[in-house]
Amino acid sequence: MKRTLAMLLSVAMLLGMMAGCAKDAGTQETPAPTPDEETAAVNTVILKEADDKMLNTYTLIAVDPAAPFTDADGNAVTDVTVNTEGADALIHWLLSQEALDLAANYGMEEYGEHLFYVKDDAPVYDGEITAATEETKTIRLSTTTSVNDSGLLDYLLPQFESEYGYTVEVQSAGTGKAIAAAKYGNADLILVHSKSQEEAFVTDGFARVVDGFEAERISFLYNYFVLCGPTEDPAGVKDCASVMDAFAAIAAGKYPFVSRGDNSGTHTKELSLWPEDLGITAEAESFADYTDWYISANAGMGACLVMAEEMGAYILTDKATYLTFYANDGVMD
Amino acid sequence: MGSALEKAIELILSADAEMLNILSVTAKMSLQSSVIALLIGVPIGIWLGTCRFPGRGILLVLNRTLMGLPPVVCGLVFYLLFSGVGPFRHLKLLFTVKIMVMAQVVLITPIVVGNMESYVGSIAPAVRETAKGLGLTRLRTFCLLVNECVYQIFSAYLLAFSRSIAEVGAVSMVGGAIAWKTNVMTTAIMQYTNRGNFSLAIALGIILLSVSLLVNIVLSLLQRRLSQ
Repeated sequence: MKRTLAMLLSVAMLLGMMAGCAKDAGTQETPAPTPDEETAAVNTVILKEADDKMLNTYTLIAVDPAAPFTDADGNAVTDVTVNTEGADALIHWLLSQEALDLAANYGMEEYGEHLFYVKDDAPVYDGEITAATEETKTIRLSTTTSVNDSGLLDYLLPQFESEYGYTVEVQSAGTGKAIAAAKYGNADLILVHSKSQEEAFVTDGFARVVDGFEAERISFLYNYFVLCGPTEDPAGVKDCASVMDAFAAIAAGKYPFVSRGDNSGTHTKELSLWPEDLGITAEAESFADYTDWYISANAGMGACLVMAEEMGAYILTDKATYLTFYANDGVMD
Repeated sequence: MGSALEKAIELILSADAEMLNILSVTAKMSLQSSVIALLIGVPIGIWLGTCRFPGRGILLVLNRTLMGLPPVVCGLVFYLLFSGVGPFRHLKLLFTVKIMVMAQVVLITPIVVGNMESYVGSIAPAVRETAKGLGLTRLRTFCLLVNECVYQIFSAYLLAFSRSIAEVGAVSMVGGAIAWKTNVMTTAIMQYTNRGNFSLAIALGIILLSVSLLVNIVLSLLQRRLSQ
């Protein structure tokens, strides 16, 4: 009995301490700084943005149930279940004027700037959208972390789901893994941002043309990657004429650079921006000579941003994740 | 840490719907998997600890190897087996709580078995002596043994539960961390970390630890009462 009492007492003390800490934090809290304030806790700032070379295009591709699926041993598998009607409905809706307008305005409320833009040549769908049936109501969407982390889908999908009765199950991973999930028959459609990997997916026969569209790849949204680095900007990136020059300056001065290193769309884009004579590719051997400044982190965007902040390193990131990082003061408070 | 604590308390008080969903999926998954692992593991552990038969040594070595099975390997195997192209694709289990429980059971059962086996192995000779002296039947000897083990069974369960609630490698692979469906505390923490939203991740971590603390307190009290 005594022991029970002692235990309860210690729990109560623990809770009391927690409450106390929380109160302290409450009184000390200062309003989160906006990106323009000089008092910002984050030292990593956007140095280069809106450069055409850093264009980040998002593409929808529907998975073909008749694709040449193979299992882990390379044997052909023919009866893979793919919810084509559900995928069609979601693609039709995402390209309806209503959804495009929603996507274009996303981010204005929270960050005061657009996080996505609608491509001028994006096809607009104005036909019928099939409602869900018992068999087609679950749609498996495999997408990249940058889309999911931006919150865009949480914002768009509930409208689609409540209007047409579907449930969209979103899995997010780097583009490489997101496409692999589709190749393993675990997705009905993909939403990714790496042109070369998308084209390989189409060439391999995994994509199909959705009714009402001309090509397998439906590119509809875009935004820009941003090159971030320490405010002091030792490589002088800010004054570089183009982003290619900026990357060349970082490499020439051997200033630390954090790479995602995980085959994500961001990683693919970064690889395309280095001067060609460096020969940096996704292979570990290709940057073995640069390990004194080139850091291949193999981690998510947020984790890489923290690393860059700690090391005073340069980093290529999508803008949405950077803004979340910034809003959180970039530290584990 | 202060503001993360505040956020954690805020999160709990606000009873955010997604938060509650994550909590309930976590509870469902870890309770189911730890109970199933206990039901399978305890009898096997007692059997291995008391009986002597050829091949027992191999079984023990195998079990100890499985105790060290990396969760990601377990997750990968389940992922490949139940993928859209895998041999068990028709069951349509990938990205469900069921398959998460299955993967967890595979991970936890060896731990329960190993835990029970070593304890039972150490008390079995004494129990057998006593039973012989009292002239008990086999069944009653077994009951006596189980009775002696109650305390240990609780420890084994706590171990199983802690392991399953804290696991992330396997569940993120087979569950896919799908919001409203298979997202559990650990995968949610990973997601928020990747998003750079550290304070929310820490807040979730605090909640996870508190849940674990609560379960441990309740079970420890029960354990104490039963062993008296």
